[in-house]
Amino acid sequence: MLEIKNLHATIAGKEILKGLNLTIHEGEVHAIMGPNGAGKSTLSNVLTGHPAYTVTEGEVIFRGKNLLDMAPEVRAREGIFLSFQYPVEIPGVSVVNFMRTAVNEKRQHEGKEPLKAAEFLRLMREKKALVGMDNKLTNRSVNEGFSGGEKKRNEIFQMAMLEPCLSILDETDSGLDIDALRIVAEGVNKLKTPHTASIVITHYQRLLDYIVPDFVHVLADGKIVRTGGKELALELEEKGYAFLNE
Amino acid sequence: MRSLTNNHPTPHYTMLHHTTPYIISAGETRELVFINEPSTHWHIVQEENSALRVHIIYLSEHDTNAQWQSTLTIEQNAANCRTEIYAMGLLHESQQAHLLTRVYHNIGGGYSSQILKFVLDDQAKGSFRGELKILPNAQQTEAYQTNRNILLSRQAEMLTEPQLEIYADDVKASHGATTGQLDEAALFYMQQRCIDRDTAAKLLLCAFFDEVIKTLTDTQLQEELVEKINRIL
Repeated sequence: MLEIKNLHATIAGKEILKGLNLTIHEGEVHAIMGPNGAGKSTLSNVLTGHPAYTVTEGEVIFRGKNLLDMAPEVRAREGIFLSFQYPVEIPGVSVVNFMRTAVNEKRQHEGKEPLKAAEFLRLMREKKALVGMDNKLTNRSVNEGFSGGEKKRNEIFQMAMLEPCLSILDETDSGLDIDALRIVAEGVNKLKTPHTASIVITHYQRLLDYIVPDFVHVLADGKIVRTGGKELALELEEKGYAFLNE
Repeated sequence: MRSLTNNHPTPHYTMLHHTTPYIISAGETRELVFINEPSTHWHIVQEENSALRVHIIYLSEHDTNAQWQSTLTIEQNAANCRTEIYAMGLLHESQQAHLLTRVYHNIGGGYSSQILKFVLDDQAKGSFRGELKILPNAQQTEAYQTNRNILLSRQAEMLTEPQLEIYADDVKASHGATTGQLDEAALFYMQQRCIDRDTAAKLLLCAFFDEVIKTLTDTQLQEELVEKINRIL
């Protein structure tokens, strides 16, 4: 589904990714761990097309297409979803209105008719129930005044609405208490199908108790320096990142 | 009062001077809506327990050289008056809008709020000067003024001068003025949700003006304004 080859990327002239390779197949969950400044968030920003980052070398093939040639909204319509570490507040734009626009833009890209009002409301109801999203939140402005947990829940709700093939969860656990973390993880697990894949970027092992990865990668200094199964996360938790240098 | 469909009836630079003030009588509630008036000079005096809501709107799709000049002077001359001023302008090409508001709290116990929002594109120019005076006799006044502006191009200009003069000590008053660009973080977030940049910008700008538009009592006019904004953007 996704093939990243020798990816180099810079921000403001500083090289952050220095030859990253990663292959992801349908049905897989990949965790990416690593110390601060290793390039974890840069990877999610580069994959989604954030304008502040420049790819200087390498390629990314997503479902047979050159991802790096696409505008950010086209990547999203093709099925890449990022659950933001810091979801952005959009005053005056309600969650309902935002999602109606987003879902219909995606449908148009797929050559489908826009959803009729009743169909859209049915879809909203179904997805709200699936991820436990509060009715009150969907009528409010996107993320405005939401608690940390509500923002992350809203991300997972949007993911449910857009049904991406590849979802990237960037530090979804940051700022969440254990109950919120469990609810968010349950949502992610419910959305998993044999044809979707996820990249879970996290600092700590605890999220991986709930979203169990098939592979754990350690990112350090812009490259993947170690890959293993889920037990690698436990080892990192126990010994810290320092043991990688031994 | 004007309707949207009748928005260029007067030639430019005709002066509409109200030398004798326009009175809002005691206990009266009044809404005034000015849409694309080239030149407005209103002096309004409010009597006891009156409520006034004024809307000033600059929104012309085709008249790319439109120039608007509005002066609005409102005096609260008796107790318990309420004044709300809402202004919005979406200026493009060579359009210019210059707005001066003067709100004088001559007597205490009154309330005034002003929300003034401008979006300027191309070479458009705008200015807002807000004189807010709370006189010594006007204790227990509440007065607020907010001016927010978004510039969509490097050539667009906005000059903003909020001026508060407060001579009473037991009052609540605030003012704030900001001029900035569209929120890049919000635009990227929306792009990541399948929405192209232009559509995202339209959503953000309609949301920006919504604070003003939703205060109009005429819901049909609200809809017309939103449609017009979308056509201009």
